[in-house]
Amino acid sequence: MAEVVLQNVIKTYGNLYAVNDVSLTVNDGEFIALVGPSGCGKTTTLNLIAGLLPMSGGDISIGNRIVNDLDPKDRDIAMVFQNYALYPNKTVYKNLAFPLQMRKLPKEEIDRKVQDAARLLDITHLLDRKPRELSGGQQQRVALGRALVRDPAVFLMDEPLSNLDAKLRVQMRSEIKRFHHNLNATVVYVTHDQLEAVTMADKMAVMSGGLLQQYDTPANVFANPVNTFVASFVGSPAMSLIPLEAVGNALRSPEGWELPLSQLNARKAANSTTNKIVLGARHSTLKLHKAATPGAVPGKVYTVEPTGDVTFAQVFINGAVVNISLEPTARIEPDEMVWVEFDQERMHLFDAETTMALKAI
Amino acid sequence: MTDTTATRIRPVVKKPVDWWRWAGRVFLTFLLLFTVLPMAWMILTSVKSQFAAMQYPPQWWPAEPTLNNYFKLLDPTQRIGQDFLRYFWNSFYVSLLTTILGVVVAVPAAYAFSRFRFPGRNFMFFAVLVRNMFPAVVFLMPLFLLMRWMGLVNTHGSLILTYLTFGLPLSIWLLKGFYDNIPIQLEQAARIDGATRLQAFLLIVMPLSTPGIIATSIFSFIGAWNEYVYAYTFLSRDDQMTLPVGIQRFFTEFATDWPGLMAATFLMSVPVVVMFLVLQKYFVRALTEGAVKH
Repeated sequence: MAEVVLQNVIKTYGNLYAVNDVSLTVNDGEFIALVGPSGCGKTTTLNLIAGLLPMSGGDISIGNRIVNDLDPKDRDIAMVFQNYALYPNKTVYKNLAFPLQMRKLPKEEIDRKVQDAARLLDITHLLDRKPRELSGGQQQRVALGRALVRDPAVFLMDEPLSNLDAKLRVQMRSEIKRFHHNLNATVVYVTHDQLEAVTMADKMAVMSGGLLQQYDTPANVFANPVNTFVASFVGSPAMSLIPLEAVGNALRSPEGWELPLSQLNARKAANSTTNKIVLGARHSTLKLHKAATPGAVPGKVYTVEPTGDVTFAQVFINGAVVNISLEPTARIEPDEMVWVEFDQERMHLFDAETTMALKAI
Repeated sequence: MTDTTATRIRPVVKKPVDWWRWAGRVFLTFLLLFTVLPMAWMILTSVKSQFAAMQYPPQWWPAEPTLNNYFKLLDPTQRIGQDFLRYFWNSFYVSLLTTILGVVVAVPAAYAFSRFRFPGRNFMFFAVLVRNMFPAVVFLMPLFLLMRWMGLVNTHGSLILTYLTFGLPLSIWLLKGFYDNIPIQLEQAARIDGATRLQAFLLIVMPLSTPGIIATSIFSFIGAWNEYVYAYTFLSRDDQMTLPVGIQRFFTEFATDWPGLMAATFLMSVPVVVMFLVLQKYFVRALTEGAVKH
């Protein structure tokens, strides 16, 4: 096991920065998730760590060893691919044995390690089959097995669950988490699904447009998103963002209403480069009133989505859609006028110009 | 549990005659006769005696079938047998070398076209096809002059080089399609698992492209085996001739021995037919690969 350090890593294609000056440290035994929308550079970053792509700049070290110019085979890594990339003409046994054969291990040792890995992943009964005779979940296990059979320093996983159906995905999610727990392995996990990142990872690196936006524990990313992108990307449903204008100690809407700010929030708003502010709030921090209430702002109900234990209302406030969670017993109709109360302690203020979260200095 | 639907009597619907279907069948039958009859006649004639073959009205079924013509052709103690076997060997040698060299060149070329981005890639890829846009005879004189300049006239090398230019474009295109369909992640996985680029290609990619390699091999082999015009032009020495030229020479020299000619023709088609029957599974797979996503 080892730590992985990326320092100012750059990958360009012509004028396009696929990965732009990314620096992050994955501690020994840590499970980190690279997360972001498609095309954000997360898979490219993973391929750079794996050595499958040449870097345009920066340094990558694995276990205190700079690996910039090393071949993938010499980096002591294992990778699980989105499409599993099992060798279709080899049996499961030979798939698992391949990385060991490449390292010229003696036959008995290969056999012992393959059997051990198969037992760990409960695929012993599948060893004689070809990959196409396996279900998606079984293929996934074989792919994991091929990665762990060699006991590498770092595991790289490229959206390993996205080809599975929803139910299996949840099951494999906990299995991979358990797998990390048991092996205490260093894992770099790429996903576009923020829920996977939040539920599995010790730390998540949110990427967008080749840039690393925020790298922190899921709890911190959730509680203190650094900018509007992270705020709207993490959490389900996403944080609602309402563009407003700061006037004195309040936020004003072109619709006419004003939302008074607490002292702390007013200090934050004062730090904005312009008076344009984006107000962010998570669904659980909002309160819905059926009648005008002091400190609450007016809105119009768009849809109501009962999910069983929570009902989500989507409310138009100042042209923005705002998600609010309600008790399942709540009676509320589309097109109804409602008043929404914000929690001053848990609201987020962003500079509309720079999209960065505002701090009270 | 009772199944009520099963007991219900279904009314008998008389289907109208599907004329299109029948027209197709008639057409296919006709086509079959058109291709099979000459071959049947070839085989029938080859087991007749010289006298029976020339009879009029023709003997449809040989009265006294004989394999003498085959014995004569395959007897290395006689002049005819020696000549025939030498032509056969020449053809085999030229076709085999063309095939092997073709695979050796086409496999890496197709792989490079499929996997790598390099300057001039598209231009080169279409340039490969130019050779197939013109009728073969157009290149007869230029190639002959080229071969003479290289001192290759009257060598089998001239034929092998020429046949390569026929076969390679198709082989490269077909194999590129194959490599395009093999996910690049397989190679990446192999490289991470400890293989070098070359090992990943040899151990993982090559076995997966076997059907394509077999199909292209059949193509180049048959192309080389059947070729007549270039072999006729480039070679003038009797001991180097390939079968198509040899058979023609051979029998004009000794007046027309129809049963012998038919026996020789039949023997010439045997390797190709056998190869096709044994490998047709791969051949079909190669040509339909990529038509549907797996």
